[in-house]
Amino acid sequence: MLLNLIKRPHWSFGALLIALCLLPGWVLAADMGNCLLCHKYPGLSRIDNDGKMKLMFVNEEIFNKSVHSKVKCEGCHTDITKIPHEPAKPVDCLTVCHIIEPTSEQKFSHKSVKTFIDESVHSKIDQEGKLKKFSEDMPTCKDCHDNPLFRPLAFVKKVRPGIAEDAMGRCRVCHEKEDFIFRFYNHITTRLHKSRSPLNVAEACGKCHDDKALVKRHGLTVMAGSSYAETFHGKAANLLSETIPDCLDCHVVKGKSVHQMYGNDDPRSSTHPENRGAICNSVDCHPKASVKFANYQVHPVFNKDQSPVVYWFTTFFYVLTGGTLLPLMIILFLDLLRRLFPNATFRRRK
Amino acid sequence: MTKYPRIKLINGEKYFFRFDMDLRIQHIFLAGTVVILVLSGMPLKFSDASWAPYLYAIFGGINLAPTVHKITGAIMLLLFGYHLFWIAKVVYKNHYLRMKREGTYTTKGFLLRVVKLPMVPNLKDLKDIIDLMKYLFYFTNVRPNGDEYTWKEKFDYWAPFWGMFIIGASGVIIWKKELFTQIIPGEVINFLLIAHSDEALLAGLFLFIWHWYNVHFSTSVFPMGTVFLTGYLSEELMCEEHYDYYVKVMKEEGYEKEILPPHGGGHAPSCSDYAPKGDDGAASFEKISEAETSEHLAKEGGTAA
Repeated sequence: MLLNLIKRPHWSFGALLIALCLLPGWVLAADMGNCLLCHKYPGLSRIDNDGKMKLMFVNEEIFNKSVHSKVKCEGCHTDITKIPHEPAKPVDCLTVCHIIEPTSEQKFSHKSVKTFIDESVHSKIDQEGKLKKFSEDMPTCKDCHDNPLFRPLAFVKKVRPGIAEDAMGRCRVCHEKEDFIFRFYNHITTRLHKSRSPLNVAEACGKCHDDKALVKRHGLTVMAGSSYAETFHGKAANLLSETIPDCLDCHVVKGKSVHQMYGNDDPRSSTHPENRGAICNSVDCHPKASVKFANYQVHPVFNKDQSPVVYWFTTFFYVLTGGTLLPLMIILFLDLLRRLFPNATFRRRK
Repeated sequence: MTKYPRIKLINGEKYFFRFDMDLRIQHIFLAGTVVILVLSGMPLKFSDASWAPYLYAIFGGINLAPTVHKITGAIMLLLFGYHLFWIAKVVYKNHYLRMKREGTYTTKGFLLRVVKLPMVPNLKDLKDIIDLMKYLFYFTNVRPNGDEYTWKEKFDYWAPFWGMFIIGASGVIIWKKELFTQIIPGEVINFLLIAHSDEALLAGLFLFIWHWYNVHFSTSVFPMGTVFLTGYLSEELMCEEHYDYYVKVMKEEGYEKEILPPHGGGHAPSCSDYAPKGDDGAASFEKISEAETSEHLAKEGGTAA
């Protein structure tokens, strides 16, 4: 079997792998499937069939701080049953995994997300259950989600986020298992706020919504990410504000999840013209703002066809700036030059 | 006016009164607030630039810098308000009341006087600009004879004046957007943001290129003009930039015999070469041999003769 593998051309690190496989298993006793036996090595990678390099290294320390740390490798990579294994298939996020969901005591799955997504603007199918046009553009789980790290929010630590030892201390009064305390604390505090910074969210949405061809294909009116970046919200996000509203703060109905976003023309949507005022003047944002306030263009477009007034207004300032500075800078330059040749007038030479 | 003599003699050199303490303090407040506002505002305008986060961090980053910007803006607006009050006071005291006292007050006469205030742009400025072009394009070696305030200074004054109005008004509305949008529609905020930041960029570039060239980097004043601190301008620079006014003040203050020839008339780039050396004041004038200088002086009505 091993010899067989060496002969296969895509096993570019075959020799290395064999060496790794011969290492004693006790080194990584916590890793039940013994996957880290090979995957703990930072150089573990291969060039796949389309010539792309794939890094297969798993940093155990980082993985253990991620939201999926309790899930075993084979819980998601269900196609892998033996070591060494064939190239792994992409993970299906809707797989029922080996975790027991504590409230229902059922095996856990992300399946409910699919029902939400199928209802939302991002679904691949229309209301009649038929595939939408360009359905391949619609996002799948992994277009937006990676395996995020716990991002704990500390109430006790006021200076910077992180795990609050004081709070953990309170857990330890009743709970004994350190691993449980760590995970429970992290799960709760991470879920209490966004797991991504506003800039990160805007970039994730921008992957598709700033793609010119895609925006055009789907008849969208704006490049959502780049136009957001033109507003104070986007600029503050760029400068790493954690509290500034990002895409999700306006486009997700309060109390619902990101998987339940609807188009602007859907009355269920938070950004439907009828509902828009209520987003802006929520207590967390601009309380007491009028409905007129919500007319502010959060996705301003500067092109001539879509917003001619904005275009000409901006052009006026360009012309004003150029028209003021250019002549002055020419004078400045000529003045510098003139001072080098104080007596160089044509008239004197006559 | 007795508080500030028009010509001060320090170690035998003449210095000419330009700005009183009130104006100099106003200028320092303006300069300080402009620098802070530009530095704390530009990282937002260019938020994706590599330098933006570092510059913003100086003002406390996104959590604090907007507050710094608003407070500084408020100080600048207070200054603007004070300056308007100051203008009104000067016009009222020096023109309105004086005309009343002299019994010459008519609305038309008063308005004419206001229009002729030294800071108001006039035809002389146009003439100076044309003369400057002649000088810059080597048609003459003589710089334009500026009046009390040259067109450059008027530009330096009125550009920020308009800028402060536009940026200040838009800034206040953006600051208190929830309040203002009770009346005005939200779309206006979009326009105000464009106006605020684009006008600020113009103002910043204008001040840090043009104004700083004139008062810091020009070879006449490098490394720094001191009039904004002392309020007095040296005779050399007075000749260079404000020759008409210089001649007028010299005559009025009884220094008619010591009037220097205009700048640029000789081989040297500044008139300091003609400045009286030691006791031999008159002898230095013999250096002026260029035909055009005498021609120029003749044009001035023989002021130096």
